[in-house]
Amino acid sequence: MNAGQKSARRIAASNGPITRDTVCVSCLHRLTQPSRRPASTAAALADPPSTPTQQPGHPNPPVSTAKSPRKAYQLLASPVLSRPPLLTRDLTSFEKAYYLYQKRLNERLALPFTRYFYYKKGTPGDVEWKRKIKVRKTPARDIGIYAAYGDEGWNDEVLVGDPTAERESVVEALVRDAEGKAIIDEEVVGDAEKEGLGAAGDAKTGEGQRRDLTKVEVERPVDRVTEADKANDLRSLSRKMDRTLYLLVKNREGRWRFPQDRVYGRENLHQAVERILVQGFGIDMNTWIVGNHPIGHHQMKYTSGGAPAPRLAKISPNRLVSTSRDRVEYEQEEYGEKVFFMKGRMMTGQADIAKNEYGDSEFRWLVKEEVEQAVTGGYWKSVKDMLAER
Amino acid sequence: MALLQEVTSSFLRRFRAPPASLHRIWASQCRHASTEAVAQETDELEVSSFLQAEGPTQQAIERFDPAGVAKRRNRRLPPSRYQFRSPRYYRGPLHPHQPPRPSEPSSREFAPGPFSLPRLEQTYHDTLASDYMVLAYAHLPPGQTAFKKGDRLRRWEGDSPYFKNRPLRGPRGGDTLRLLRKPVTFRNVPQLQRVTVHTMSSDAINSGAALHVSGMVLQAITNVRAEAHEVKKSVAGFGVRAGMYLSLTCELKGEDMYHFLSKLVDVVMPKMKDWPGVKGSSGDFSGNIALGLKADEVALFPEVEVNYDMYPPKLIPGCHITIHTTATTDQDARLLLTQIGIPFFGKLVN
Repeated sequence: MNAGQKSARRIAASNGPITRDTVCVSCLHRLTQPSRRPASTAAALADPPSTPTQQPGHPNPPVSTAKSPRKAYQLLASPVLSRPPLLTRDLTSFEKAYYLYQKRLNERLALPFTRYFYYKKGTPGDVEWKRKIKVRKTPARDIGIYAAYGDEGWNDEVLVGDPTAERESVVEALVRDAEGKAIIDEEVVGDAEKEGLGAAGDAKTGEGQRRDLTKVEVERPVDRVTEADKANDLRSLSRKMDRTLYLLVKNREGRWRFPQDRVYGRENLHQAVERILVQGFGIDMNTWIVGNHPIGHHQMKYTSGGAPAPRLAKISPNRLVSTSRDRVEYEQEEYGEKVFFMKGRMMTGQADIAKNEYGDSEFRWLVKEEVEQAVTGGYWKSVKDMLAER
Repeated sequence: MALLQEVTSSFLRRFRAPPASLHRIWASQCRHASTEAVAQETDELEVSSFLQAEGPTQQAIERFDPAGVAKRRNRRLPPSRYQFRSPRYYRGPLHPHQPPRPSEPSSREFAPGPFSLPRLEQTYHDTLASDYMVLAYAHLPPGQTAFKKGDRLRRWEGDSPYFKNRPLRGPRGGDTLRLLRKPVTFRNVPQLQRVTVHTMSSDAINSGAALHVSGMVLQAITNVRAEAHEVKKSVAGFGVRAGMYLSLTCELKGEDMYHFLSKLVDVVMPKMKDWPGVKGSSGDFSGNIALGLKADEVALFPEVEVNYDMYPPKLIPGCHITIHTTATTDQDARLLLTQIGIPFFGKLVN
């Protein structure tokens, strides 16, 4: 955390003039106070501040006009935009078995269901309840057929391979219950009164039978595997609903990265990242940038054959950053890149690559494993600990 | 000695099975491993009598039907062989009958365990906790030292010799020390701890039924049996005497707590009419936030709404809900609850 005073002084010694562009505001405040500077550091400074009117401790030091291009790292901000999981994860087989067993034990230990507190005697609801409970033997709807207080109460464990605990059976049981059907279709046997058709085990078959005059349409839950999953549409936000999806773009060099851009003028990281999302994907994304601090960083030095190979960059003002228009296009000798990642959450909307101003050709919403496959090794090392497991 | 050795060696020979059968057993039971991996695993294992036992055959598995066997049995089984009651009293560690753990179903203290993995708990661990860490991070720029606060307990400073070793004074403004706030790290993110639902009915002074109805409503919405509390001191103005049972509380932890809060935030709060949110001044400076629900709002819970007519009119109570968190300040608790979805209004008092 405390990098110490050496790092700030090193910046001061190696670079030319100390301005707001080279050091942060708090370091600038400390370094521009000559009374606090010991003699050794004063000698280490290559060039004194070029403008003679610069006052120590002035909050807004005037912009320096250096003759040679400034030596720096390219400062980039990058939003790590994620769509959090919208569905709970699938239960493991152990969890399913455990929960089913605990629910059945609960049936054995809880007091009997007080029917008349919920269904008034003689009402259709009561009749329906009696019909259903006869088959299901238990008030609970998601534990299959089990009689907790009967002679077979001891048989509370299901056999290996039983589908009772599976999500499909539970959904099926609940939907059938909502439709007014019993949990399983009773066996149809010959019955003298009912012209050869009737339910097994009940003499008065007509009484509890539901007439198919009014068919109750119950909305089934939507499938957890969506269309986007089946089509493996990597641009869709409806894919992998139980995982976190991260937005990656293919930049003009053909590399898959989180969207990134230079920090202009006096904007802070939060503002830079919001601007990058608008300039990269249009205005149709409802996003929230979490906090004001980056969640990670990545550093890359420009080298050619092992030796540093600085690149000359021309920085022109950005149309969306008013403070960048204070100075006209200037040059900077860049020794590498420093990217700071900011956490962002996606609420609604979708990215529109047609509105992209950075020359990115494609975008994708990927889970953590897919991000690992898409990005290069060094970048992945910097990025992997920021991404959520689920 | 020689006889013993002979017996031992024959014994071992009988139980030392060739590796092939071991492989077969593992291959049949191990559904996911390939045969190569199975071979490697079985090679590394020590030969043991456990692994030599044959698993059930497929035929045996298909024929297994304990309920059917019980039905076909004509005779009655002796109850002593199949019924077990765990000991009522603990008689010490050396007694032959030891009580089972409370997590055992046969224990007298057994409470059926979790029935589901609550959605709110999953959301907290996957989404909310990491967002919280980012929001609560306080950056210290390099080269700067952290602001050092003064001593909480102040010394007596002065000329008097009696000041030496005198007990330290409390902070300025009062003697109450607020909880220390530790910086939020990945191990220290504020979590929901428990929820207390409390209701007091003044109707219960005259009618016993009112308290029973309140208890039933509380049990329905929380899934926990309510505890009744008696009045400690008689107050003639309210017409209460000491020893009267007038209030009920339910303490929710774990799965029940998450389900209750999910229902509250997703079902009840959206339906509440003209409800601005939880008051910003709510909070006990220790990370616990409380809110109140009126009787009509309690009736919005799905468990009460389903059989609303069964409750006597006007006896459904309102309640106080206190959410205890592991946060140590009001701001931290409020941030957590805002993430969960509880709105706050008005001036936020810390």
